[in-house]
Amino acid sequence: MYATLLTAVFPSIHGSPEFSKLIESYPDTLKTLFGISGDFTTGPGYLDGELFSLMLPLLAIFLAIGSAARTLAGDEDAGRLELVLAYPMRRRSAVLAKGAAVALEVAVFCVAAFVALIALSAIFGLDLRVGRLVTAVAAVGALGVFHGWLALAVAGVVPSRALAIGVPAAVAAAGYLIGGLEELAGWLHPFRYVSAFWWIGKAPLRTGVSGTGAVVVAAAALVCVAAAALAFERRDLKTP
Amino acid sequence: MAEAPAIEMTGLSKTYRGGVVALSGLDLRLERGEVLGYLGPNGAGKSTTLRLLLDLIRPSAGGARILGLDVRANGVEVRKRVGYVPGDLRLFDRLTGGEQLDSLARLRGSSDTKLRSELCSRFDVALDRPIRELSKGNRQKLGLVQAFMHRPEVLVLDEPTTGLDPLLQEEFRRLLRETVDDGRAVFLSSHSLDEVQHVADRVAIIRSGRLVDVDSVESLREHALRRVTIHFADTADATPFAALPGVQVDAVDGTMLRLSVPEAAMDGVVKAAAGSPIVDLVSEPADLEEIFLERYREVDDGH
Repeated sequence: MYATLLTAVFPSIHGSPEFSKLIESYPDTLKTLFGISGDFTTGPGYLDGELFSLMLPLLAIFLAIGSAARTLAGDEDAGRLELVLAYPMRRRSAVLAKGAAVALEVAVFCVAAFVALIALSAIFGLDLRVGRLVTAVAAVGALGVFHGWLALAVAGVVPSRALAIGVPAAVAAAGYLIGGLEELAGWLHPFRYVSAFWWIGKAPLRTGVSGTGAVVVAAAALVCVAAAALAFERRDLKTP
Repeated sequence: MAEAPAIEMTGLSKTYRGGVVALSGLDLRLERGEVLGYLGPNGAGKSTTLRLLLDLIRPSAGGARILGLDVRANGVEVRKRVGYVPGDLRLFDRLTGGEQLDSLARLRGSSDTKLRSELCSRFDVALDRPIRELSKGNRQKLGLVQAFMHRPEVLVLDEPTTGLDPLLQEEFRRLLRETVDDGRAVFLSSHSLDEVQHVADRVAIIRSGRLVDVDSVESLREHALRRVTIHFADTADATPFAALPGVQVDAVDGTMLRLSVPEAAMDGVVKAAAGSPIVDLVSEPADLEEIFLERYREVDDGH
C-alpha cells in the first residue's frame, strides 16, 4: 500500500525543478538521515530516499522481531513450551526452527516487496535495474533477519517477551541513527561499525550494497542465532 | 543383566536463582510396573522434581536416570519413552483439540493414531472445538491423552486429574492400573492423598524439598489408627479400653464411647466390648490425610 502510494506520487515529482529546490532546502541533517542526495527526482533516488532508507527496513525489522519474540519468548512466557520441550526434541533444534520461521517470514515479505516494486516501476516509469533491486531488497531482508535473530538471542538468555522486543528495537533505532548521522556528527563516527544500517548503506538502489557489509550483517545474524541456541540449551525453562 | 529401574534419582537437588532451595538431596527409586504416589503440599518441590526428570530445568546437584539413561545426557532418548502431564497445562489456544494432538504427535514423529482415538473416546475428548473454548477439565483430558498416546514406558504426571469429574477420575485410575499391569511405571504427583491411595503401590511424601517418608500404602494404613465408635445398651465404661496397649479414649458420652485403635489392638477392643451388651459398633479406617498430617507433625517436632 505504502509503496504504491509513494510510487504513484513519483511521476509528479519526476523531473520537477520545484521539488528539487524543496529538497535542496531541507536541512543537511535530514537529508543525510533519510539518505537523500541530489537525485531525489530519479526513480532509484526517490525509492532509496522514501522506501529503502527507512520504511522497508523498518517493516522487515518489525516483522522479524515480532515473530521471534512471539514464537520463543512469548510461548515460554505463556507456559506453552513446557509441554513441547518435554517431547523428544533438542532445545537448540527448537531455537533453530524458530529462527528458520523468522527468516521465512522476512523472505516472504521481501519477495512481496520485490514483486510490488517491479510492477510499480513498470507502471510509473521508475526505471529500476532488476539486479540492483534484488540486492536492495535482499539487504532489507538481511536487516530484518539480523534484528529478528537478535530477538531470539535475547529470548534464549532471558524468558521475557518485553526484552526480546525491546533490546533489538533499541539496537535497530540506535543503528539507524548512527548509520544516518555518523557523517555529520563526528562523535558518532567511531561507532559506525555497530550499525547494521551503516554496513548496508543508505542508497542500495543507486550505489548498491557493499559485499563486505552484507557479509558482516549476515555473520552477525548467524552469531545471534547460534548464541540463542546455545543460551537456550543451557538455561532453566521458566516455570509456567 | 538386571533391568534398570524406571526412575532413579540420586541426591537430586535444585536451588533456584535467588537461593530458594526447592529440592535437596532426593534419593528415590521407582520400579517398572509400579505406581509411585508423590505427595506433598503445594510448593513442596513436587513439580520441581518432575521438571528435573524431563530436563526442563537443570539440577544444582545430583542427577536422575530414567530406564537407565541419564536425563541430562540422553534427554532426547529419555523423552521418547516418557509421557508427561505438566502441573499447569498450557496448550495452543487457537488450535482445536485434534490439531493440538496432531501437532504433538508430529513432534514424536509417530503416525499411529489407533491408541490416540481409543483414549479420546474413552475420555470423551472434545477434538473439534478450539482449545480456548474448552473448560479446564476438557483441556486436562487433552493433556492426559497426549501423555499416553505413544504408549510410553514411564509416565510422569503432575496432578493429572485436576478439573476432571469423579467418573473420569475413576476411568483414569483404571488406565493407570492397566498401564502398570503392562509393566510400565507411573510417577504420580498429587497434593491429595485421596487421589493417590486407591491407585498407588507406594507413596513418597515430600515436604519443603526433603523426602519425609516412602512407604507402601498398605503399611501406612497398618500404622494408621482406626476410629472406633461403640454404642452400649447401658452407660459406657472406658476403663477396660484405656488399659489396652496403644488404644486412646477420645470421648465418653453417656452410652457412647469413641476410641482411636491401632490395627494390632482391634482384637482386644472387640473382646473388651463383648463384656457388655452392645447396640452398635463402627470402625472407620483412618483417612490417609490424617496419617499424612501426623507424619508432618513428627517431622516438625524433629526440628
